[in-house]
Amino acid sequence: MAKLMDIARVVRGKNAGALQLTLDVMFEDEETYRKVRDSGVLSPRTIAPLYGVTDNEVAIIPFDVAKAIKITVPRRIRSGSPGDTDVYGAQQHVPLMQIDLPD
Amino acid sequence: MPPIKLMATTGILGYGFTEEAFNAGVAMKPDLIACDAGSSDPGPHYLGSGTAFVSRAAAKRDLELMVTAGVANGIPVMIGSAGGSGSDAQVDWTLDILREICAENDIAPKVAVIRTEQSKDLLHKKLAAGKISPLGPIGELTDKDIDDASRVVAMMGPEGYQQALNEGADVVIAGRGTDAALFAALPLMKGADPGLAWHLAKIIECGAQVVEPREGQDCVIGTIYDDHFTVEPGHPDRRCTVTRVSAHTLYENPEPYRLKEPDGTLVTDHCSFEQLEERVVKVSGSRYEPADQYTVKLEGARPVGFRTVFIAGIRDPILIDGIDDFVTSCRARIARDVGALGIEPADFTLSVHLYGKNAVMGELEPEADGPIHELGLLLDVLGRTEDISRAVLAKSRYAFLHTDFPGRMCISGNLAIPFSPSDMHVGAVYEFNVWHLMSCDDPMECVRMEWIEPEEVRSWRN
Repeated sequence: MAKLMDIARVVRGKNAGALQLTLDVMFEDEETYRKVRDSGVLSPRTIAPLYGVTDNEVAIIPFDVAKAIKITVPRRIRSGSPGDTDVYGAQQHVPLMQIDLPD
Repeated sequence: MPPIKLMATTGILGYGFTEEAFNAGVAMKPDLIACDAGSSDPGPHYLGSGTAFVSRAAAKRDLELMVTAGVANGIPVMIGSAGGSGSDAQVDWTLDILREICAENDIAPKVAVIRTEQSKDLLHKKLAAGKISPLGPIGELTDKDIDDASRVVAMMGPEGYQQALNEGADVVIAGRGTDAALFAALPLMKGADPGLAWHLAKIIECGAQVVEPREGQDCVIGTIYDDHFTVEPGHPDRRCTVTRVSAHTLYENPEPYRLKEPDGTLVTDHCSFEQLEERVVKVSGSRYEPADQYTVKLEGARPVGFRTVFIAGIRDPILIDGIDDFVTSCRARIARDVGALGIEPADFTLSVHLYGKNAVMGELEPEADGPIHELGLLLDVLGRTEDISRAVLAKSRYAFLHTDFPGRMCISGNLAIPFSPSDMHVGAVYEFNVWHLMSCDDPMECVRMEWIEPEEVRSWRN
């Protein structure tokens, strides 16, 4: 079984402002992108527990023209507030990399 | 409409660009040379304290190249979100650099200064009138939030820039504005299609994010025509690609198809991207939906204490085996020791980060149980006062260095401390406490314009 990190070209995370984290998964080719997009494996149900949020706080938006899937979740701690460990939100993509994909 | 050419020199003033790309860009005779200096990414400290996150030397290097080329070629130069957060203090910091540049280069441009830091009086009135609402997952704004904030800035739209350009500014130093407003201002006032103007602005505001190969920041040139726009790099050996340009609307935005601006929303769902030439991408089909109400985003930060930090390495395998219990016993000892100094638990927080053991992801770490042979220890104390912060950190350092643990052999010290002095005093710490939208009756309501005439600029030489 492949993991997302084995087939994606980019898995990245970054602040979308101080209150939200946005994660982009980008693919090299149309076929892989469509396969992942249509598989339903990137769904609020699979993403929410990875980021400690509820299903309805997860927004998942496919972006065909860039062969990308965008995932936006609220930050648990505001950027730079006491207790935050990643002010830019640039290293919070790792749980996504590990997601198993159906064959 | 004749084509309008815009040069974005770099993603953030002070992040740099190559002179090769810049000179090639200037040779294309752009109608504007501009750069946004702002980002909230580096966190609340910079807005809270009114200081820059780039060095003065780096900001001066970029600004000097831009301003001298702009003056020599009669091209207006604009800097948005000056100093990083666009507060009055950061605008003044940028003006001070400009003053030095003008004096050293013997130039006297007409300078427009646009301020967008908001007065507390106005914010209280707006709040009372129900004109301020949350932007994203944050509570309703309160009068206390306004009072607590050390600074609140409004992200202005293009109107302030347009007034400056209309009245003949050679150089514009502006407070906080949306990244895209800086670049949309000129094409919009010359009658360009709003969808194309805003989309082009959004794509070039981050500089070389849309350029391959990715070798740091550099200049990007956008040209807007009646029914499309093009994007190309300044650097002759680099290129813009459909992949990079189309992906850029994803970057740092919560959604890719709809990008909100003060007076409307850029909609990109029916855009087409085409590789026009090897280095040039053509974009068309962007739309702009005007909003019923003009709104500006407010950003504010309040002080939350003073930080002192300490970094050390832990290599002892027995200590690493029992590290969680060790941290617990150190915390108990620190509470006792600082209590003896009269410092209450409510006066400080102590965060212990063990790099090598889930310090980045915390409880969300998917691989929490890997083997560890070395740990990086970061102690982070946030104290109500500078004295408390220093005292708690010093006691904490001692506790981690000398607290006993089961099976301990390294009885002369638990830590590898890399520096002397070991304790780093970070100073005041802030948090974002205003992240809201404010309705405006007039776009210029949140903007203050000032002018510095060439005669005054000339006097800077003395």
